[in-house]
Amino acid sequence: MIELLATQYAYVLLFVLFGIGIYMVIANENLVKKLIGVSLFQSAIFLFFIAMAYVEGGSAPIVPADGPVASPLPQVIVLTAIVVGIAMTAVGLALVIRIYSEYGTLREDTLREVRADE
Amino acid sequence: MVTVESVRPLAAVLVSAIAVVLIVASYRRPNVREGWSVLAAVSKFAIVASMLPGVLSGTVYEWSLADSLGVEFLAGVDFALRADPLGMLFATLASFLWIFTSFYAAGYMRGLDEHSQTRFFAAFAASLSTAVGIAFAANLVTIFVFYELLSLVTYPLVAHNEDHEARVAGRKYLTYTFFGGGVFLLAGTVMIYWLTSTVGTATTAFEAGGMELLAEAAVAEPGYAQAAFFLLIAGFGVKAAVMPLHSWLADAMVAPTPVSGLLHAVAVVKSGAFGVARVILEVYGPGLIHDLPLSVPGIGEVGLNVPVAIVAAFTLTAASIIAMRKDHLKRRLAFSTTAQLSYIVLGLSMLHPYAVVGALFHIPAHAFAKLTLFFCAGAIHVETHTDYVSEMAGIGKRMPLTMSAFAIGAAGMAGMPLIAGFVSKFYMLLGAGYVGGEYWLFAGTLLLSGVLNIAYLWPVVYTAFFESEDHHDAKPVLEFSRGGVFESYFAEDRVATDGGEAEDAAEATETETEDDYEYAVDEYPSDHTVPEETDTGGERVGTVDHHGDHEDHLTGGPPAGGWERRSPFAESTWLMIAPIAVIATGAVVLGIVPDTAVFLEVATTVVEGVFGVESFGELQGLSLSEALEVIAE
Amino acid sequence: MSSVGSLLDALGGFVDLLPVLLIVTPILMAAAPVALGLRFDRTGWTVAAITAVGLVSGALALAAEVYTRGAVIHNLGGYPRTYGIELVADEFSTAIIVLVATISAGVLAYTRRGGPRGNTFYSAYLLLTGGLLGISLTGDVFNLFVFLEISSLATYALIASGDGPESAVAALKYLILGTIGASIYLTGVAFLFMATGTLNMAELALAIPGAEAQVLVRAAFAFIFVGFALKVAQWPLHTWQPSAYQHAPDGVTPLVAALVSTASAYALGRVMYTVFGPDFLTSTPYLTEIVVTVGTVSILAGSTLAVIQRDVKRMLAFSSVSQFGLIVAAYGLVNETAFVGATIHLVGHGLMKAGLFAAVGLVSVSYGARTVDEYAGLATNRPVAAGATAALLIALVGVPPAVGFVGKWYIGLGAVRAEQWPVAVVIFLSTMLTLAYTARLLEKMYFTPASPLEAAHPSEPVAADGGDGAAPLDRGVPGAVSVGMVALVVVAAVGAIALGFAGGAFFELLDPFVSEVFN
Repeated sequence: MIELLATQYAYVLLFVLFGIGIYMVIANENLVKKLIGVSLFQSAIFLFFIAMAYVEGGSAPIVPADGPVASPLPQVIVLTAIVVGIAMTAVGLALVIRIYSEYGTLREDTLREVRADE
Repeated sequence: MVTVESVRPLAAVLVSAIAVVLIVASYRRPNVREGWSVLAAVSKFAIVASMLPGVLSGTVYEWSLADSLGVEFLAGVDFALRADPLGMLFATLASFLWIFTSFYAAGYMRGLDEHSQTRFFAAFAASLSTAVGIAFAANLVTIFVFYELLSLVTYPLVAHNEDHEARVAGRKYLTYTFFGGGVFLLAGTVMIYWLTSTVGTATTAFEAGGMELLAEAAVAEPGYAQAAFFLLIAGFGVKAAVMPLHSWLADAMVAPTPVSGLLHAVAVVKSGAFGVARVILEVYGPGLIHDLPLSVPGIGEVGLNVPVAIVAAFTLTAASIIAMRKDHLKRRLAFSTTAQLSYIVLGLSMLHPYAVVGALFHIPAHAFAKLTLFFCAGAIHVETHTDYVSEMAGIGKRMPLTMSAFAIGAAGMAGMPLIAGFVSKFYMLLGAGYVGGEYWLFAGTLLLSGVLNIAYLWPVVYTAFFESEDHHDAKPVLEFSRGGVFESYFAEDRVATDGGEAEDAAEATETETEDDYEYAVDEYPSDHTVPEETDTGGERVGTVDHHGDHEDHLTGGPPAGGWERRSPFAESTWLMIAPIAVIATGAVVLGIVPDTAVFLEVATTVVEGVFGVESFGELQGLSLSEALEVIAE
Repeated sequence: MSSVGSLLDALGGFVDLLPVLLIVTPILMAAAPVALGLRFDRTGWTVAAITAVGLVSGALALAAEVYTRGAVIHNLGGYPRTYGIELVADEFSTAIIVLVATISAGVLAYTRRGGPRGNTFYSAYLLLTGGLLGISLTGDVFNLFVFLEISSLATYALIASGDGPESAVAALKYLILGTIGASIYLTGVAFLFMATGTLNMAELALAIPGAEAQVLVRAAFAFIFVGFALKVAQWPLHTWQPSAYQHAPDGVTPLVAALVSTASAYALGRVMYTVFGPDFLTSTPYLTEIVVTVGTVSILAGSTLAVIQRDVKRMLAFSSVSQFGLIVAAYGLVNETAFVGATIHLVGHGLMKAGLFAAVGLVSVSYGARTVDEYAGLATNRPVAAGATAALLIALVGVPPAVGFVGKWYIGLGAVRAEQWPVAVVIFLSTMLTLAYTARLLEKMYFTPASPLEAAHPSEPVAADGGDGAAPLDRGVPGAVSVGMVALVVVAAVGAIALGFAGGAFFELLDPFVSEVFN
């Protein structure tokens, strides 16, 4: 266990982040915070990709260098995924704005009550 | 056995499917619409009949989707139609009776001025299409296709009335038939396909005497083969109304009478019995069924046929007893159908050639007799709106020809000599006798149920002809609680305890005296048959089954002055009288000269094919094991 | 066939480009309605229609090539597949491509009159189509994620374009869960990459059996399966789906219901069979059991929930949960027959649900009915719509000859072949379960006369003018229905029945792919 924490601490941290994100989505009633949770969750996955491409002593794949180079593929992937993630967040926030203007609340529990009343 | 490629089996199926389109298209003109119905019926029969001589001389007409259009229905499964002797038996019957039913239906629907007649006639034609499809199906998948479609197209006929009762009956109908078809039959078919694929090229095609590959596979996997057998029997058993899967049939009687007649006494229910015949004779074959023993704890090993026979024997006894207690005529007939169909299943499951011939011949024999009975019930309903036996006292005066035909049909049900039912029952008894051993039990059931048949159908005839509106005997079995009526002697004390309704109770006793005739006749022919609204003798009246349309019940019964006397030709429209007369005559013809009336010949041809002999005579006098050895050779 | 062959020769290298064009064209054209909308009004439909027609012909040309000559593989930019992007049109994916192209074209015919309209709708529509075609064609697991997200993005936008505020809530719910699903899938991809160092499906298939860290591969499968279970809406992860279907505009639901989940289910099958392969599936302990359990539980739960729904759209949405359960269960059986059955059911279910949801839209416009009770008397008042709906419902039950039966036959046969008896029982029982909710609607349409009581919308102020709110028989606006709307429903119904005869053909067409996978 200790050894795992010592050598693979990045992964452990990222999974904690992953968990926090999921928890926010499930447990938080505020819609914006839910979206933040989703973003956090996604970021954890992006970082996971980057972390696994890390090579001890390797240099960035952009700069031509002697010696070991970090794998470029995960970085490309993450760049793409970030773009996708941003688009998602943007659409999500747009929806939140619309919901707020219709119902005047951002809290899911209140929202449920309002909708039940209608 | 010569196989000829021919489009005729397909044409026989499609002709009424095309009629459906024409019927719907000419919905504005009822005469044209009914014209299409009749035309389709006649041409369907003509097409089927044109194949009859060929089939009897050993030709099989086959049409397959893969060979003619190059379309494979499912991988390794062909969609094929095939006019073989067994199929011809059912197809000839259904298409022949449809001709008369289509006249009768026109008379019935117009007589009652029913709604949605176009839908009715369209669904009717579609049902016939699928029934003939079932008859000609060459493999289990094809028969499944038509079996499911039959359930589907008969649903509108059951739910025709569009009232609550009809909808409930329709729901029940769909549930039962789809459980039988979509679940049991499909599962059984898949199992057969899988079993045969374990030993060779997967197939579901019928083979007279049983599928060879299946016999091979059954040796390796006896458990699965048994499971598949019972799945298939249960699948077809639902439509054949074998207990405990029978209760949809009585509820389906809310449908208009032509439907109850042709579909729920002939086409639909017979498709179930016919399917059982296919499974026993041409999927498993008598040999395999007998040799694939089922070990029952405590009894030892029995053939697969024995459980089926026991269920059938139970059904026919129980249904006959239930029928005695039904006051609604169509329901009584429905339970009679349940019982009679089990004759067929019982005969088939005895496996002996004679029993099988008897069972197969019982398909047309019962059809003619039961159709007569239903047509009579429908005619009575149209003319007098009477549905309950207890209201029919003296109705013989009003409808002499109808009730005479009813008497013939009833005698046929009971297996009186000279009427079709006798011949089939005779063969089945012979078969049971030849098998011997424990099978005397089944012979006994057959005889007992003959007596029960008389017990539930004779009262109708008796009521109609030998009772008068004002002198109507109570029927003890029907109207009294089981074990007799206590309160006949102490009525006043007993009933008065229930307080408020003492008046009614008083009536109930008073009407026994002659003074109250006019009043009693007015609405209720007899106090004992007073319908459910008098709850006075709660337990007494409550035991009478009064399902059915309550409003009809109130409008039924004799008019104020009693039944008027009419001549046999003026009792109803010729559209209804003529079919009744023809079908009743048919029942008699089948009983007097079964040999010349085609059906028996077809039935023996089937058995010859199954047992692989040249002529039926070779099977004469053989015991079951000897007969099964004949197959093996 | 020879004429097809010579035609294909004439097309030559063009066919090779088709996979790219099928994806790139709609995505690029998605910008056109908005861009052109700055200058001209009403250009959206023209652009979308031209693209849709092009896509259909492209998909058909591709299908002709794939089913006569074998798979078409295109490496984007000529990079080798180890790190480039590969597009694969094989027998499996082509079936989905044809489905996506034709259904989306049909839906376009519907929305011409039935709405929604407007340039933003057409942009989102084209983006969705492109994304779905991308999911079907891609041969790269990460690329699959991107296309999943592109199509989801468009779907969220389309659902949110509904009139009421409810649609925004439904869309947000879908967005959150959909994004989580896709992200979980991405996590699985990360594990796969860690274990093998490649993202190409064909390369992964080669690398996985020899991968040292099988734990990583198994973890990858677990994440990928859960991600897709969310996307495909398997119980208990289906919660987003009913409200998304229900609150989407009527013109959008057929598209979403028929294609979006179908594409995800296709992707699940692709990943399970092409990437992991049958050997991995069967050799991993508890894997098939879990997949099959998720599927069968979804069948049961979906049907049960469908029976108790009052809103027809919601009922059909739960029906989708159960039908996709059938497909997932079939995947879990891991044999050829079941896999063919799953593919057929994917296509068949897509077609039937597109028709059914279009019919729901049609009925709500022309008859003003949205709940099961309000469908009373539909048959007498709108015979064509009722007839087509009835045919589709019956096909969905699996009454032969219809495509629903073909799928069920193969899946049932697959379950029996695998000797997985509990699954077989559920599959055969699913007929009854489906019947339970379809019969309810059939009975209302055909055997329940429309009565004023049943017809009145309780939520609407009917008797504002002091009237008694009766005479609802001429409710709805029959004139608001275009030929295109009716055509989509009727064509779907006819197609569902016609494909019922194609059981053998389907099997043959898929055979090269299936026998390669199961060698």
